[in-house]
Amino acid sequence: MKRFSFFGGKGGTGKTSCAAAYALSLSRRGVRTLVVSTDPAHSLSDAFDIPIGYEAVQLRENLHGLEIDAAVEAKKYMELIQQKTLDLVSAVIVDEIKRQIEIAYMSPGAEEAAIFDKFVELMESAGDVYDAIVFDTAPTGHTLRLLTLPEILGVWIEQLIEKRQKAMHLMKMAARYDSYLADRIKEDPILGTLTARKEKFALARDLLTDASLTGFFFVLNAEKLSILETARAVGLLVKHGISIGGIVINKVIPPEAGTFFEKRRTAQEEYLAEIDGLFPSYSRVRLPLLDSDIRGVEQLESMAVELEALEVESPLAGTVKSGSGEGP
Amino acid sequence: MKRIWSVVKKTWEFIVLFHHGTFVDKRMAVVRKEAFDINDNLMLLLFGDFLGIPNPMSYYMLELLPYVADDLESWERRIQNRKFIIAEKAAQYDFD
Repeated sequence: MKRFSFFGGKGGTGKTSCAAAYALSLSRRGVRTLVVSTDPAHSLSDAFDIPIGYEAVQLRENLHGLEIDAAVEAKKYMELIQQKTLDLVSAVIVDEIKRQIEIAYMSPGAEEAAIFDKFVELMESAGDVYDAIVFDTAPTGHTLRLLTLPEILGVWIEQLIEKRQKAMHLMKMAARYDSYLADRIKEDPILGTLTARKEKFALARDLLTDASLTGFFFVLNAEKLSILETARAVGLLVKHGISIGGIVINKVIPPEAGTFFEKRRTAQEEYLAEIDGLFPSYSRVRLPLLDSDIRGVEQLESMAVELEALEVESPLAGTVKSGSGEGP
Repeated sequence: MKRIWSVVKKTWEFIVLFHHGTFVDKRMAVVRKEAFDINDNLMLLLFGDFLGIPNPMSYYMLELLPYVADDLESWERRIQNRKFIIAEKAAQYDFD
């Protein structure tokens, strides 16, 4: 069992159901589990058929749920900044600052950053309350960006720190004969804040790239587009050092589906073989296409039992050749 | 003796001030200007989005706002009024 499991994949492949079922399977074994949705369009509460909000809600024994609300998190952050500004400068300037804060609130990266902050906060503080956290992520593109954020921003912030240090160095030289300036630069909150932020990114990166803590599970269907996207995403994650926990092949048409599906099933066999060929070293689980939607804990439970196979080194023994190990 | 002593002291003071005014102050002014210029540029990297320059992490830069709030308005004015980059650059060198 990984401490942090991410479930991702193309839209509509059944990420949320798989994440919910996996969390359920963990909780049934007595693991204190939190299932978190990072998708801005939440559907976790629909999967469990229980209303879930931006604060953790108990779903059943050993299982809590949470849907990250970017707007709420961003607002909390903004209010904190406004409060800090009020402590430091006059109210007139705070009014001026408010405009800037609002601009930033509307800026394209804000929602993403707010979600990222919250999930890093959850990962950091998880230890005492939960043994495992299962993340139900947004469709691939959004999630990949989210997970690679710390690496990109880490480089950027390092340069800012460098620049500030250079300025401070010159400032100190200039302040040798200027006691007023020397007083002003005695301590540098800007450098302190930037460094703290950098450390936070580094920590997030350490957690995400630690193969013993974090695993990313891909949910895909036996369809061309789904396979292509997953292959690309797997490559990208491996490049960024995030380990792949396993592959869930969802909505596999069972043999008893009847003649209507016969043709699709033949095509599917090809795709299943392709998946096995593409990801031989990851544990793979096949889930059948069901005759009804999955909603509520009872229906998730049968899925949960099947997902337990994800933690076995080589699943589907006998049906396919499967290697072991961390990946290519 | 006392008179001579005070003249020497005056002269020394004069020399110190002269030296300070001729060499130190001017040098320090250049260093100071450079330091503030670098800081202004840093502000541009931090809060460029206020001027319409996209910033990949403007959200995180907000937490620096409280510390630069005092200087923000004057910085915006300074940076928007930059008309003669060459003249600005030339001013850094000692032409007079």
